[in-house]
Amino acid sequence: MNNVPEPRTPPQAALKSDRLFINLGPQHPSTHGVLRIGLTIDGEVIVKAVPDIGYLHRGTEKLAEVRNYHHCVVLTDRWDYVAAMPNNLVFCLAAEKLMGVKTTPRADALRVIMCEMNRIASHLLFFGTYGIDLGALTPFLYAFREREMILDLFEMSCGARLTYNYIRLGGVMTDVSPEWLKRTTEFVEYFKPRLDEYDTLLTYNPIFMNRTQGVGIVSPQEAVSWALSGPNLRGSGVNHDVRKSDPYSGYENYDFDVPLGKTGSCWDRYFCRVQEMRQSVRIIEQAIAKLPDGPFMASGVAKIPKPAPGEAYAHVEGARGDLGIYLASDGGISPFRLHVHAPSFINLAMLQEKLVGMKVSDVIALLGSIDIVLGEVDR
Amino acid sequence: MTNDEVFAKISAKFPMVEKAAVQVKDYLTVRLSSKDDLLPFAQWAKDSSFDMLETVTATDLLGPVDMKGYIRQQNFNPFLPDGATPQIESAPTTGYPYRPAMDLLWVFFSVAEKARVFVRLELPREGISAPSLVPLFKSADWQEREAFDLLGIGFEGHPNLTKILTPDFTQGHPLRKDYVHIKDRFDE
Amino acid sequence: MAMILEKLPGLTKGLPGGELFLTTSDYIIDLGRRQSMWPMTFGLACCAIEMMASYASRLDFDRMGVIPRASPRQADVMIVAGTVCKKMAEPILEIYHQMPEPRFVISMGSCANCGGPYYDSYSVLKGVDRIVPVDVYIAGCPPRPEALQYAVVKLQEKISKMSLKKGLATVQQEKGSRDINA
Repeated sequence: MNNVPEPRTPPQAALKSDRLFINLGPQHPSTHGVLRIGLTIDGEVIVKAVPDIGYLHRGTEKLAEVRNYHHCVVLTDRWDYVAAMPNNLVFCLAAEKLMGVKTTPRADALRVIMCEMNRIASHLLFFGTYGIDLGALTPFLYAFREREMILDLFEMSCGARLTYNYIRLGGVMTDVSPEWLKRTTEFVEYFKPRLDEYDTLLTYNPIFMNRTQGVGIVSPQEAVSWALSGPNLRGSGVNHDVRKSDPYSGYENYDFDVPLGKTGSCWDRYFCRVQEMRQSVRIIEQAIAKLPDGPFMASGVAKIPKPAPGEAYAHVEGARGDLGIYLASDGGISPFRLHVHAPSFINLAMLQEKLVGMKVSDVIALLGSIDIVLGEVDR
Repeated sequence: MTNDEVFAKISAKFPMVEKAAVQVKDYLTVRLSSKDDLLPFAQWAKDSSFDMLETVTATDLLGPVDMKGYIRQQNFNPFLPDGATPQIESAPTTGYPYRPAMDLLWVFFSVAEKARVFVRLELPREGISAPSLVPLFKSADWQEREAFDLLGIGFEGHPNLTKILTPDFTQGHPLRKDYVHIKDRFDE
Repeated sequence: MAMILEKLPGLTKGLPGGELFLTTSDYIIDLGRRQSMWPMTFGLACCAIEMMASYASRLDFDRMGVIPRASPRQADVMIVAGTVCKKMAEPILEIYHQMPEPRFVISMGSCANCGGPYYDSYSVLKGVDRIVPVDVYIAGCPPRPEALQYAVVKLQEKISKMSLKKGLATVQQEKGSRDINA
């Protein structure tokens, strides 16, 4: 029994460990665009994370200072290009406040329908790509099947699939046809059972739950301090929704709930979005059922508007959170100052702190669950 | 809480803070008298339920934008009539008080009360700097960096005040009204 | 492989029937190339969402042999989908130089073609063709997924005209990339 070798313990000095710098992006497929994160890792654990943004900085806020107000709506489409309708809406709301234009009830209802449809389209994209990020390719194909149907409806109403320019100053571009309303109702009926399908496909998938539950937990206090908004804030259990707290375009007339998360983990943020799709469906149904008649465009919007000097702030609940616009006018034909309160930009800021201490494989889980759009981060 | 109630609370604590002459429509706008007031005000806001700092930004009040800041005639447009420019020329409007100053804006939001207060502070443009709110609100971090990058406002006490959006070789602060674009190697 | 192919025209010159051999091998090589256009998954802006839509269920890019690759070393074609900002220009150049030859570039959307709505912006590169040679341009803001697929068809037509005799490099290298550091 003497021939069993003694277990050899190497001396500590021989175990040389070093920190490793990993460059994630800017063309990494899972960063959803051109985000770059410089990660310093010690073994599997991240010790330092430096997000580097600006790879899609297009200078929109500067360009708006030489465009007139109607032209600015075109620029807004390209901030959050996954959900462009709320971007159109928020700019129009701010400019209408400056000009003192009041929109018609039909225009308001159409705006609500379009924004909620766009929210569904945006959350479907999140659902699909988040699955891919965590290694499930199938949800992507299912999500895009339904997303294409929504894009078809958008195409039918305004001719564009992604950058709509549908919501204009004073109302909407054009009225919807009865055929469109019929098809939208059909889509809503078709979509409701699909949501249950998604739950069985991904939401309650054990592998998915293991990878997201308990990962990237954001406490309510942290969420408020980072000024998060949208599903990221509600995933932490903070009840704040612009549609409820500061209603616009007649959201106070619709009956819907605000889904809240419990623990603030990646799964909670994901679950909030999936539940929000159900609420959006409810809002669309109500809005179509009581769509008022009347003109779709308010009178009194000049071809080249020159609002009196003043300042206005408008904000909406976009697909990513509280999207706000601060607009100042000096009485000229173009805005004097346009500032975007971009939810993606503010939500992303927490990454530098939250990533520290996480495993490398959880980076994508956290990044995907924040659901950023780089066009809005960099503007 | 209505705007008047919020203002009553503010003026009870800070008598020198007054309502701004130009109100942001539908929201309470107050104006600080000097930049020394900012930190006590922010501390009070944080303690009294205004626990979310939504926005940090500023407006440059120096006249209309300098058109040299834009890249002109890059894409020739054959559909325009002779002499027309594809861009709108910025022109000063009579009656607007242009002045060499920057109007800083902070927006505090109370999640519990759903109330919002806009805080303004006007500072001269030369060597502009304001106290940083990073120690109180984490959300100030990137937004102050953005204001530094695009508007050139220094924030005293910010842990990492570096460029965030524009590339390293961009000189100047693009959102300043007198920004003139210097051609770099990607322009011709 | 590329080195062998480059030497082929010289080797077959003296052989009887060498030209015929070259033509046949041209056909086979081009067939292989054009039926497996592997793009780099590399989205920049809005157009990237339409690029994703063309990979997805309805339009199914796979049937054209277009399978996204995550590494530039495995890619044949770079789809520049979106606004190219000046900060992003250098990473794009780097990716382009990492791709093996022959490499092709599709410029998707107005922004990548000429700057699009940002033609007067201080931070947008006015067209990706200023830094890399482009084979196919797609108009639109953003172009439809069908337009992207048509661009791939056009690129396939272009590849089918490549021949060993003219050298491996196609039109793209005759154009040459402009030296931005000059």
